[in-house]
Amino acid sequence: MKNRIGGMVRIAALCVLLSPLNAFAQASGVLHVYTSQPMNQMAEVVKAFNEKYPNVKVELFRSGTTEVMNKLEAESAAGAPKADVVLIADSIATTKLKNEGRLLAYKEAPVRGIPKEFIDPDMTFFGTKIITTGIMYNTKLAKKVPSSWMDLLEPEIAKNTIMPSPLYSGAAVIHVGTLVEQPVFGWKYYSTLAERGAVATQGNGNVVEAVSRGEKAYGIIIEYMALNAKAKGSPVDFVIPREGVSVITQPVAILKTTKNLAAAKAFVDWQLSEVAQRQAVQQGYYPIVPTIAPPAGYPKLETIKFLSADPAVLLQKDQQNKKRFAELFGG
Amino acid sequence: MDRNRILRFLNQEYILEGLLILILGGVTLWPLTRLGMEILVSKEPALTFFKETLVEDPSASRAFRNTVDAAVWSSLLAVLLGASAALAVALTDMRAKGLATFLILVPMLVPSQITALAWKELVGLFSGSGTRNPLYSREGVILVLGIEHSTAVFLAVRASLRSLSWDLVEASRVLGAKPFRILRTVVLPLILPGILAGFSLSFVAGIGNFGVPALLGIPGRFPVLTTLIYRKLNGFGTSVLSETAVLSLLLIALACVGLALRATASRSLSARVSGHKTEGVLFSLGKYRILVEVGIGILFLGISLLPLLSLARTSLIPAIGVPLTAGTVTFRNFRFVLLEQPAVMRAFTVSFRLALLVALLTTVIALLLAYLSEVRKRPLARILDVIADAPYAIPGIAVSIAMILAFLKPLPLLGSLYSTFWILLVAYVSRFLALSLRAVVSGMEQFDPRLEEAAQVAGAAMWRRIVTVVTPSVAPAAAAGALLVFIAALNELTVSSLLWSTGNETIGVMIYAMHYEGNSPAAAAVSMLSVTIVFLAAGITSWLGKSLPKGVIPWRA
Repeated sequence: MKNRIGGMVRIAALCVLLSPLNAFAQASGVLHVYTSQPMNQMAEVVKAFNEKYPNVKVELFRSGTTEVMNKLEAESAAGAPKADVVLIADSIATTKLKNEGRLLAYKEAPVRGIPKEFIDPDMTFFGTKIITTGIMYNTKLAKKVPSSWMDLLEPEIAKNTIMPSPLYSGAAVIHVGTLVEQPVFGWKYYSTLAERGAVATQGNGNVVEAVSRGEKAYGIIIEYMALNAKAKGSPVDFVIPREGVSVITQPVAILKTTKNLAAAKAFVDWQLSEVAQRQAVQQGYYPIVPTIAPPAGYPKLETIKFLSADPAVLLQKDQQNKKRFAELFGG
Repeated sequence: MDRNRILRFLNQEYILEGLLILILGGVTLWPLTRLGMEILVSKEPALTFFKETLVEDPSASRAFRNTVDAAVWSSLLAVLLGASAALAVALTDMRAKGLATFLILVPMLVPSQITALAWKELVGLFSGSGTRNPLYSREGVILVLGIEHSTAVFLAVRASLRSLSWDLVEASRVLGAKPFRILRTVVLPLILPGILAGFSLSFVAGIGNFGVPALLGIPGRFPVLTTLIYRKLNGFGTSVLSETAVLSLLLIALACVGLALRATASRSLSARVSGHKTEGVLFSLGKYRILVEVGIGILFLGISLLPLLSLARTSLIPAIGVPLTAGTVTFRNFRFVLLEQPAVMRAFTVSFRLALLVALLTTVIALLLAYLSEVRKRPLARILDVIADAPYAIPGIAVSIAMILAFLKPLPLLGSLYSTFWILLVAYVSRFLALSLRAVVSGMEQFDPRLEEAAQVAGAAMWRRIVTVVTPSVAPAAAAGALLVFIAALNELTVSSLLWSTGNETIGVMIYAMHYEGNSPAAAAVSMLSVTIVFLAAGITSWLGKSLPKGVIPWRA
């Protein structure tokens, strides 16, 4: 008996010793990545990933976060989950997967230098970049430059404000969920906005379009879309409200049902590596590692206050929040 | 000719027929049957199934009502526009009728998602700041669909006006009837079947349209069946396939109502009074002529060219919200989509490859099929003709659902075609074969079968006769057909919106995606490029078509 345990220990030790080696040596074959990141960016990501791991063939499924989740759900129901790795916008969705026991804990993931709040304590998912939601305004139409979320409540501003709906946008799910958890805002904030004529559209793309065109003067939106439009010359600007912003971290996670663990780990390692972080900066994201400089023209990370909310609470109230939002702003 | 040789000829024909049965069976008959099986195999009768979907699923019943609502009202608008334009061109002494006809028919060449985008840009220029674009609504969908389909009504009414016997008009005039009374009591009753045919064509196209409700109806919260199917399948993947199959069968049922109406209309159209002269001037406009000319000119310039111009404007500004001035004008969007965005370049490559391959394949299939049905008069080939027409008559989204159902499960040797280039190719061939076939058949009707018999007597084998005798004489018609297929396939959106996959995006899908992601100037640039290509191809088709029989090129006739 003693001998057998000893043998198992030795084998286990050998496995542990060899596993990093294995991971590197065996990172090959097909890797199914389900993601909500825009397609052209993912094309660049896959290209850079393949420079380090040339033998992995990445198959992408790209769609909105909600749709990615639906697809995962459907595949699991059919008993054949195809995805190995998910890279989706928000931690609510990832927490949901975690609670359902579908995520693999990757204890050895290279997370050095990444702030703790952006990593799951159980090491099942890891933030890969920071996307904040703030306020965008049309510089020709806005009579006042907003500096606080409360500014949007002014009747003249509220009726000229557009926002993405959590029924379509993962970022909006986090934003609405986070704001209503803050005692200073709560649902009162959103019901006042609705009463005073603010409207909701579908995704962030619709918000950037409406504010740039001047259909609306103010918009609640993720920062890179607004700053991108500004850089191209649209008459818009973006502000970080002084109460702080909600954050999505686009977590990456490995599914327990993966058929290619080595390649999946390689993909996570690569996402957290400096090369990937610099690429994210090039694509217009704040890096998850604070030591890397953000894209030019972005407010400094240190100056930004983050509004936080427990992903578990956000997940628990998700349906309820969507329903209340739809009641206020329409489906 | 000895017996053996006769037998050999027969055998060759059997081989050809067998080949065509295999092709059409694979690309059309099997997928459509598979779609039908979704409700036929269930134990309940089909009607209960439809009823349940409509009663129990509020989103489906809402989409169903909206679909009928938008199709009926847009067709009425199309009739108003198309029929009055056809009457003005045919019955008055206005000048520049060729130019007017061209302007009226422009929307036919512009794919519907680009028309929607262009109208949105145009209206956006005039809707004041601080207001949502009013086209994001039921009315927006109806307006753009009505304009898009007015061309079909125009062509149908024009055709019936051309078969109108002018003797009747002359007779009424001799009896002292005033022009408007002649119009009401003689002309309109006689062209009513044409108007009905145009209405039903527009109705069928309206219920199957995806581009317009996707761009205007989704943001305007006006869901129709096509956008509901799209959103369900995109949101929930293939697990909702049979649910979307029922919805597509609902669409087909609606299309059948329209097609039946059209069949009735064209039956009464063929029972026409024959006469010698078929054209003439009913309304001498006199001093009002210039007013009418300018009025029609402004109306159709506004409908056809102004939206395209505002789309061109958007493609030349650096970002949304920047006014177009000499200082801001830029070709950056074109550079971006042509040189810097690999996904867009890939989409152009994919769409070009698809359009060329589909044009080639459908032309070859159409030639062989038309040879058997028109020259050899084989009854089985005539049945194949009907099958080949079906996927173009029914809504495109139903064709895509049929394709997914048929090719999702891995096939022996081929594997699963789903989310590959090949499912797009198969779907396009199935969908567009009818276009090519119609052109080749009209060419073939003018072909003298005795030529082919002579070649046969001289000992030429079947394949040789097809290549050296039949093909050269129908080549112009076949080429025009191929170009029509090319034009339609290059900008296809409805079928590809459900069948595209990463690496296999089409231009239509790319325009839609860029617009959704908030990059309208780039979407406008891609649209302008593809509209330019389409106009070039249409120009070549018209030039080719000068010597062609009537009916080969739809906008001539």
